[in-house]
Amino acid sequence: MIQLTPQLTTLLSTLTNPMVALSDPAAADPHAAATTAHAVGEVGHGPAWVLLIPFLPLLGFVLNAIYAAIGNKSKLPAWTTVGLLAVAFATTLSMFLSYDGSPYTVHAFDWIQVHFGDKSMIADFSFYVDKLTILWMLFVTGLATLIALYASEYMSNDIGTGYCRFFSAFGLFVFSMSCLVMGDNLLMLYLGWEGVGLCSYLLIGYFYKKPSAVAAAKKAFIVNRIGDLGLALGIYLTFVHFGTLEFAELFSNEKLMGYVADASVGNFSAIPGQAQWIALLLMIGAFGKSAQFPLYVWLPDAMEGPTPVSALIHAATMVTAGVYLIARMYPVFLVSEFALPTVAWIGTITAVLAATIGMAQFDIKRIMAYSTVSQLGYMFAGLGLLTTTGAAFHVLTHAFFKALLFLACGAVMHGFAGQLDLRKLSGVAWMKGWGIVGVTMLIGCMNLAGLPYITSGFYSKDMIIAEAFVTPGYSIIGWLLIVTAILTAYYTFRVYFRVFVGPQHAEPGNEHHDHDDHAHGEEHNHDAGQHGDHHSSGFHPHAPGWAVNVVLAVLAFASIAAISLAYIDKAEHHGWVGSMVHDSTAYFHSPYVEQAHHAAEGTAHAVDGPVGFKAPKAVFGMDAHTAMILITGIGGIFGVLVAAFFHGPKGWQGLFIGGRTEAAKCRMDAVARRFGPIPKMAENKWYVDEIYHAILVAPLRVFSHVLHWLDKLLVDGLVNLFGFLPRLFAWVIRPSQSGVLQGYAVNMAGGVVILLVVVIVVVLRAGGAA
Amino acid sequence: MSMEVIQLGLLMDLPILAALLIAFVGKPKNAYKIALITSLITVLPMLGLLASFDWSHGDQYQFAWSLSWLPDLGLNLSIGVDSVAMLLIALSVLLGPIVVLASKRAIIENRKMYYAWLMVLQAAMVGVFASRDLLLFYIFFEFTLLPMFILIRVFGSTNRVAASMKFFLYTFTGSMMTLAGMVYVVYFVSTQTGVWTLDIATLTHHAGAMSLTEQTWVLAALLAGFAVKVPLFPFHTWLPLAHTEAPTAGSVILAGVLLKLGTYGIYRFAIPLAPNAFYEYAPAIAVLAIIGIIYAGLICWVQTDIKKLVAYSSVSHLGFCVLGLAALNVSGFSGSILYMLSHGLSTGGLFLMIGFMYERYHTRDMRQVAGLASKMPVWATFMVFFAMASVGLPGLNGFPSEVLCLISAFQSDAAWSAAGEPGAWGSTLGPWFAVFAGTGMVIAAMYLLYMVGKICFGPLVEPKDHGHHGDPIPKDLTAREITSLVPLTAGCLFFGLQPTILLDAIEKPVNATVNLVEHSVESMNASNEQTDFNIIAEGANP
Repeated sequence: MIQLTPQLTTLLSTLTNPMVALSDPAAADPHAAATTAHAVGEVGHGPAWVLLIPFLPLLGFVLNAIYAAIGNKSKLPAWTTVGLLAVAFATTLSMFLSYDGSPYTVHAFDWIQVHFGDKSMIADFSFYVDKLTILWMLFVTGLATLIALYASEYMSNDIGTGYCRFFSAFGLFVFSMSCLVMGDNLLMLYLGWEGVGLCSYLLIGYFYKKPSAVAAAKKAFIVNRIGDLGLALGIYLTFVHFGTLEFAELFSNEKLMGYVADASVGNFSAIPGQAQWIALLLMIGAFGKSAQFPLYVWLPDAMEGPTPVSALIHAATMVTAGVYLIARMYPVFLVSEFALPTVAWIGTITAVLAATIGMAQFDIKRIMAYSTVSQLGYMFAGLGLLTTTGAAFHVLTHAFFKALLFLACGAVMHGFAGQLDLRKLSGVAWMKGWGIVGVTMLIGCMNLAGLPYITSGFYSKDMIIAEAFVTPGYSIIGWLLIVTAILTAYYTFRVYFRVFVGPQHAEPGNEHHDHDDHAHGEEHNHDAGQHGDHHSSGFHPHAPGWAVNVVLAVLAFASIAAISLAYIDKAEHHGWVGSMVHDSTAYFHSPYVEQAHHAAEGTAHAVDGPVGFKAPKAVFGMDAHTAMILITGIGGIFGVLVAAFFHGPKGWQGLFIGGRTEAAKCRMDAVARRFGPIPKMAENKWYVDEIYHAILVAPLRVFSHVLHWLDKLLVDGLVNLFGFLPRLFAWVIRPSQSGVLQGYAVNMAGGVVILLVVVIVVVLRAGGAA
Repeated sequence: MSMEVIQLGLLMDLPILAALLIAFVGKPKNAYKIALITSLITVLPMLGLLASFDWSHGDQYQFAWSLSWLPDLGLNLSIGVDSVAMLLIALSVLLGPIVVLASKRAIIENRKMYYAWLMVLQAAMVGVFASRDLLLFYIFFEFTLLPMFILIRVFGSTNRVAASMKFFLYTFTGSMMTLAGMVYVVYFVSTQTGVWTLDIATLTHHAGAMSLTEQTWVLAALLAGFAVKVPLFPFHTWLPLAHTEAPTAGSVILAGVLLKLGTYGIYRFAIPLAPNAFYEYAPAIAVLAIIGIIYAGLICWVQTDIKKLVAYSSVSHLGFCVLGLAALNVSGFSGSILYMLSHGLSTGGLFLMIGFMYERYHTRDMRQVAGLASKMPVWATFMVFFAMASVGLPGLNGFPSEVLCLISAFQSDAAWSAAGEPGAWGSTLGPWFAVFAGTGMVIAAMYLLYMVGKICFGPLVEPKDHGHHGDPIPKDLTAREITSLVPLTAGCLFFGLQPTILLDAIEKPVNATVNLVEHSVESMNASNEQTDFNIIAEGANP
């Protein structure tokens, strides 16, 4: 990490201030140059209707809570939620369309204010809108609407029991997410941050009678809280150092702009350590929420929640909050010498690690969970590599195709009574009523695998990987990400070839259609008879209804249509997402990168860097971008073919290279045996959970017990000892307590005399003074 | 005597009247009704006071009234409130109907005694905050002990005798030392001004003139009582016992108001009467507070008795409150006072929930009763709500105060924040204080989710002999129980979303106290420099 930083320094110097730096770094006037790159101008007040975006979902929460209280037993909660979210989405759209290019704030009410003299600490319930906000809110509200529609059908077995609870938490989630993304100060962001954590907790633990769900929910909240501590401290430090919590003020703060200028010429020693610590602390929060190493362990377990939750919260929206945080606070990250390199490396390590685990899992939902962790790693690598555009674009495309994948897997889970084991399902796409699921799942898999040109996932991933090769010293990250891309293609299509094509076979899971059945109390016993035993009575898969199919189709369309975003505004901003990022705090002035990236098409020539180093922008003698298209494109196809060979069925469905004839057996089994214990270790997630338990949780637990004993024996023991002293004293002087009346009389008289003397002295003094 | 003074008096007189009525006139079956009606009526004058209080001059004593008692000794019965005291009185009065409501089913025997003492306790709590006279404060301060002692002793659970004795002796011993410290201050001020006075404002004005040594002793004496009351680690061992054994109403009042007497005492007396000493020893006090936060939090995590868990959580939470005070700056004081007001809502709520559960299952052991969400969804919803409030979820009551206390501790030593802004936000502490105290956030999540995960979620577990007594108690919460919870819930939301109203209200007194401390510290530093200069000068001219 440390040896890389001089390179980052050099890079930064070119990023923020390329013209001056290229000619003569010493002549740079950092302050003047930096302000043009970052400072947010005067922030005006926006229209009040923007408040509908957070508050309509909140209304949904309230209404659903009321439905729950009055015992509603219909689909009303779902339609309420879908309706309100759709209006919120429409409002977001009009916010997008009416945005005139300058950020604004909308004030709801005063929240936390402390004043002292002319100084104050202000964190109001207000919202800040710039294009980064709009970008995030568009897909948050859009996906939330779609997924609520999906859930209206998916959760329909719980009508009357958990339906209202589900949708009220859903509404609260969208409200919290809106606060996170739209909050105009860091405490509002924190409110949203913890709020989505709460909803995540409630929804992971939705099947609350199931101990594994409760444990997973608890784990998610607590691991997130560890990250939140970092975030909180980062926020406090921001206030301590910059004296404000509000974005509008922070990003026009002269001190910050000065630091950015210093950083741009590599003069990190001029930036106080305190300011550099902020990014390192905020980063920990981002790692927690976005499931990055070493805090990723909660996300795979979070799959205990209902699938719509996994799709919305644990794939598309909430887990991208870390990316949003770093993008929003990008100027603060730029001034920290070690923060962005750390982000890049942690992202890469996470991407590789999660992909290796994903390859060995058999639960299709968990495979998707690990792929989410892995793809989030890409986004973090992108942020660390100074391509906020690439990271944000990947957030967007990933939101579409990963939600799609989860929802398709959810349809399978729903239809096959909770079955998620890819060894027990085969040929699902060919079953009656499953065509749309089969096709849309294929589209999702192609996006995740990054098949060249025909998928949006390809474009966004490429943007990040290409960046690694144009960034001096980071090509190793580029290679690691390419290897991960191949692994991703493999494990994604492993699922597709096993579950969706091939001979038709289905063993139902151990759940009834009603997901709440696991631990039904006695009040639901009558249901058991109705459902009967699937194994004995012959199992009929339950094909998805219109709501599920429509949502899948829309998402599949969106993940293909998102390709066009890469071409809108391509020349100027690297695509539409780039133009959105451009008008926000996540933007930084980086013509150097653009030049290296898109210098004359296909030509390869190294540009002399500002302080004499050569930027290795040529990869295999090509422009980095072209090289990446070739390498990742070929890699992705290679991964798919490997999956087809090892897992694909015989015949055309396995692209003529597969050999699988039944659900449970494939060519991979023999290969896996050759690797000895390694596949088993990967399946057991490299025992990371066990290691955490052994080195962190268990010792802390023992320590707590020790404290508890100490409290009883030592701390309280001392108190009791002091309590005992008077009695000891009494025992010593007991002879005076002889029981003889005269003795008491004498003692009493003595006491009275002393008291009198005191009173007299006091009164005399008082009187004398008066 | 103005209308307002009468109202302030009514806050104390009404409960006393009710207590007399219950004890000497009423029948046992009417005791509950009389107490409930009285506590509800008492809310009216309190609302009147809130309305007529001049919040823009919150640092001045308002509704002041004084009756000369023993003028030679400077004794006056003087009452009056500043905005901090006013808000704490409002909290005490509002808790009244809630605890009475919650007691209906829990207390079946000795009802006259129970409700009479509960009413006395109400009056005493108002008296503490309304006192403008040192001795009067002290009398009320001690007088809260007696009703609480009786509530625990007579109406507590199995280990009540030991718990009540420890509660009484421990806190009483501590407060004797507080009295000694107070007497010394009075004596000192009389030597300064020549007037023997017990008026708090006058004492505060002159006490800063004490030498550092004197202040240190005074601080030690005052803290002896207040630290036990808070309770500050390591003086906390009476609390888990008392909380666990006390009846529900006792626990709620203990958590809601009585513990705050300790932090209020520190804010109102320890800091203004010994500002320089407090400034010197603030880091040490903060260290104790932080140890308490972590230590008590971890102990919570391994409890099986749910009430003990919540009791220890009070120790942990109050650590934040003391931390804010020890930071000696605006955000710290504001956060700390906000904490005093808001902590009781969530913790009190948790105690009520536990009480309601205990009435149904007669056990507090989470190994014997668990997974209640499937049996009592409404109960479980409230439980999760109060647990989240206690975790410090933003939007609920714990968050604003916790943030302010932690931020206050963060700012600090000049070496680290060379570019920081001194003055308003500077504190005696440093970032490491905030980092260690901040781990309390994680630990709180650990133990509260452990608790919720056990008691609400997972498979339903009920005690074996449960239901054999033909228990007529309905499954889920009754309307009466929900009624007692709704004000607390609303309070949690109000404190979480509108803290700025309260922060505005206490801005003046907080700023005044900060100025007082800064002034004392500066003047002592100045006089030290003067002394140093004199010594140097003398050395130079032999």
